[in-house]
Amino acid sequence: MRPFARTGAKAAILAVVGATALAACGSSPSGGNSVQLTPNGAFGKVPAAAPFGHAGTITVAEPPGATPTWIFPVTPGANGSVYTAYSFQAEMWRYLYMFPDGAQIQENKPMSLASDPVWSNGDKTVTVTMKNWKWSDGQPITAADAEFFVDLTKAAVKVSPADYSQYVPGVGIPDQVVSMSTPNSRTLVMNLNKAVNPTWFFENELAGITPLPAQAWARASANGPILDFTNPANALKIYNFLAAQSKSTGTYASNPLWQVVDGPYKLTSFNNTTGAYTMAPNTSYSGPHAPTMSTLQAVPFTSDTAEFNAIKSGSIDQGYLPFTDLPQVNSIESTYNVFGYPGFGFSYVTYNFKDTTGDFNNIIKQLYFRQAFAHLEDEQGYIKAFFHGAGGQDFGPVPQVPPSPYTPANAKTNPYPFSVSTAASILKAHGWTVNPGGTDVCSKPGTASNECGSGIPAGTKLAFNLIWNTSPAIIGQQITDLVDQAKKVGINITLKSDNFNHMIATYYDVAQPKNDNLWAMEDFGGFSIASYPTMNGIFNSTGTYDIGGYANPEADKLIAASTTSSNPAAVKAEAAYLTQQQPSLFQPSVDNIEVWKKTISGPPASFESLTQYQLSPEFWYFTK
Amino acid sequence: MTAYLIRRVITSIVVLIGVSIVIFFLLHTIYPSPAQDVLGAKATNAAVNAWNKANGFDRPWILQYLSYIGNALHGNLGYSYKLNQSVAALFRERWARSFYLSGMSLLLSVLLAIPLGIYQAVRRNSLSDNAMTTVAFILYAMPVFFLALILIQAFALSLHIFSYEASQSTSVWAVMADWHAMTLPIATLTLISVAGYSRYMRSSAMDALAQDYIKAARAKGLPERLVLFRHLVRNACLPMVTLIGLSIPVLLAGNLITEQVFNYQGLGLLFYNSLGNVDYDVLIAYTLIGATLVIVGNLVADIALTVADPRIRLA
Repeated sequence: MRPFARTGAKAAILAVVGATALAACGSSPSGGNSVQLTPNGAFGKVPAAAPFGHAGTITVAEPPGATPTWIFPVTPGANGSVYTAYSFQAEMWRYLYMFPDGAQIQENKPMSLASDPVWSNGDKTVTVTMKNWKWSDGQPITAADAEFFVDLTKAAVKVSPADYSQYVPGVGIPDQVVSMSTPNSRTLVMNLNKAVNPTWFFENELAGITPLPAQAWARASANGPILDFTNPANALKIYNFLAAQSKSTGTYASNPLWQVVDGPYKLTSFNNTTGAYTMAPNTSYSGPHAPTMSTLQAVPFTSDTAEFNAIKSGSIDQGYLPFTDLPQVNSIESTYNVFGYPGFGFSYVTYNFKDTTGDFNNIIKQLYFRQAFAHLEDEQGYIKAFFHGAGGQDFGPVPQVPPSPYTPANAKTNPYPFSVSTAASILKAHGWTVNPGGTDVCSKPGTASNECGSGIPAGTKLAFNLIWNTSPAIIGQQITDLVDQAKKVGINITLKSDNFNHMIATYYDVAQPKNDNLWAMEDFGGFSIASYPTMNGIFNSTGTYDIGGYANPEADKLIAASTTSSNPAAVKAEAAYLTQQQPSLFQPSVDNIEVWKKTISGPPASFESLTQYQLSPEFWYFTK
Repeated sequence: MTAYLIRRVITSIVVLIGVSIVIFFLLHTIYPSPAQDVLGAKATNAAVNAWNKANGFDRPWILQYLSYIGNALHGNLGYSYKLNQSVAALFRERWARSFYLSGMSLLLSVLLAIPLGIYQAVRRNSLSDNAMTTVAFILYAMPVFFLALILIQAFALSLHIFSYEASQSTSVWAVMADWHAMTLPIATLTLISVAGYSRYMRSSAMDALAQDYIKAARAKGLPERLVLFRHLVRNACLPMVTLIGLSIPVLLAGNLITEQVFNYQGLGLLFYNSLGNVDYDVLIAYTLIGATLVIVGNLVADIALTVADPRIRLA
């Protein structure tokens, strides 16, 4: 998981531990696995698949700043991005298990390279059985190829923990893998150092494995012999060689290494200055696809404006509608299909539980205050007024939309609906003298249920600051309204604008504890989350991204259970608790709005999944 | 002249060294090391320290500065960990594109602004002067991106005369040959620049027209055409020489807004993206090269001024 500055387009950084995938359609593209999406959050619609016409060259927009700078699927943090992972590398090398299924956050079984894992030994051993898919050189994709990936990640993190972007020390792959064996070419047995939650390990760890062609890549030099990669010393040599090749961005299309693929496409040209590239269909691709696959041509853009100009001119087949251009959607609807849906994740206002200024730390740790504050947020109003209807309500860390099997019941309807009067009543009931338009004062200090709470002396004022990210503009719009509503109940918030990079570098308890008294709340954006949406790392007290220092033993216990207990419902329980506890102010999610020409068709799910950052042109074709 | 040039060059080098020290110090103070960005947010302090030691970022900043300058003098401007290319390669790929876009617009601006300014000065307060002044003010006040969008909408999306984006070729020769794609971005920059330059030119020409030598030329019966071309143009152009000299850094700095709107990979965009990515080596190289060009631009302007106006003594 990584923080992102919300945007209406694809520029958001995403680091999903689990893989993503598309709906299967078999070789008959009209048999798409169209999902029933909830109307909440959806903008526009995806038409049914039209009859296959012909293949051709499909041009897709490459968002600003998305130029891939790494091709080898063991990707360092510095070079990882959602685009590199899911729209570049994933066209060539597929994940062991593919998520999501269209816009539904669940596995797409026909697209996965292996059957679902089988657990044994008290959830300490997992067995994976590969399907009979083939590499582009005709060799079978074996269990050893999956093992090869894990061994290379082990080698990578030995060089530097940053060399594998999904690496979390001591957690998951590779640190928890103590041994692996391949009793036959299709079976991988993985032994872990302790029992894990099978669902978590499956969706967030196994799904991140990208089988690699050991028969072509397990070498330490271009013409060197194939090495035994299970020997750590060899694995290190192989990793160093492949990483060095990956740094040579000018040779991506010519290096024979990168021509051995199991995905639907092979790279045929790559411009490392502009980021433009072309991919030809992998004729040996074993997965489902259109009757004849089209060539893929990625067209880079330097700005959303340039991309929208290209759409208006009709010069690209698939792109995105920049959120700021949403009011102009009518101008392209005769040429393009338009569909928007939120990405899987959440946006939030982060509370700083370590800010002692004006006893804010003691105020914010009061559950009643966080609940009262949540009542001041008008999510429906924001979506209507600021999102032009293109967004979905979110009430907790696991969003209401897109549909996830882990969304708890209390996150499906707003537990703290917008009501200024309710917020005022809650504050009054807890010992605050409410001064609408002024500043509330604690008049009943103490820890009784009708008093302000522990550590809040008499005379404490409800006045603090909130730092907000100026881009995109919808953050400021929401925050401004929130401040106005808060003022109505005497909560006095001082706003300070900032930018994403500076906020993350400065207002971050884990990284910059010396700045804890500089900020009470901040809104930098939010997080994209994995298909198994544990908040491990974000709301546990030792989390790398516990930005405001939230510490709650019960939350820690539930989060730990999500990754270690055998209870498949653990993550739902975790999400329900956090939704009730409101460790931050959860905000509505804006849609990722995708457009594609009406002359292009395919299974609906293959277009819906674009909103989840997944590109799947192997399913697309021209209708006429 | 030679002595002056030597003095100016020496002074420029001293200024450049001072500027580079200040820039390096400021960047170092704000951002002591790219380790965290290279290694990621999850990197431990030990890993960060090890990386800093391996890459020399644990040394005092002045030593880092001396190393950097030493490398820069040998053509090594550092490495972009984000883009996986050397900074020199990144600049090599883009400078000619930025130079062409900015240079062509600068050239056209000057070629248009000089006759326009003179014409307006000669016909000052006439209907045509007022009309041109109005247009110039509108263009001068107009944000670049707004003008660009208007031109794109009119000439690319509605009339389909030109392309909505600049040339996507990485060969500068192909870019130069692609008038269909390059007309609108060059026109955008030219129109914005010519608005300002023509005002300078008009003002300068009006001053010159009031000088005694113009009156004398007219009094001795020279045709107006000769008065203007022989006596007015050269003198009225002197402020333009300074302006052009100061515009030299822009040639390589790129034009961020134009590059963004017209989908053109140039140096301005590289710098902008590097800011967002905190791409340390690109930022420092770009800033230092920018400072160098400002100093060189000043020097060139001063020298050109003396060539254009022999009355100016170099001492």
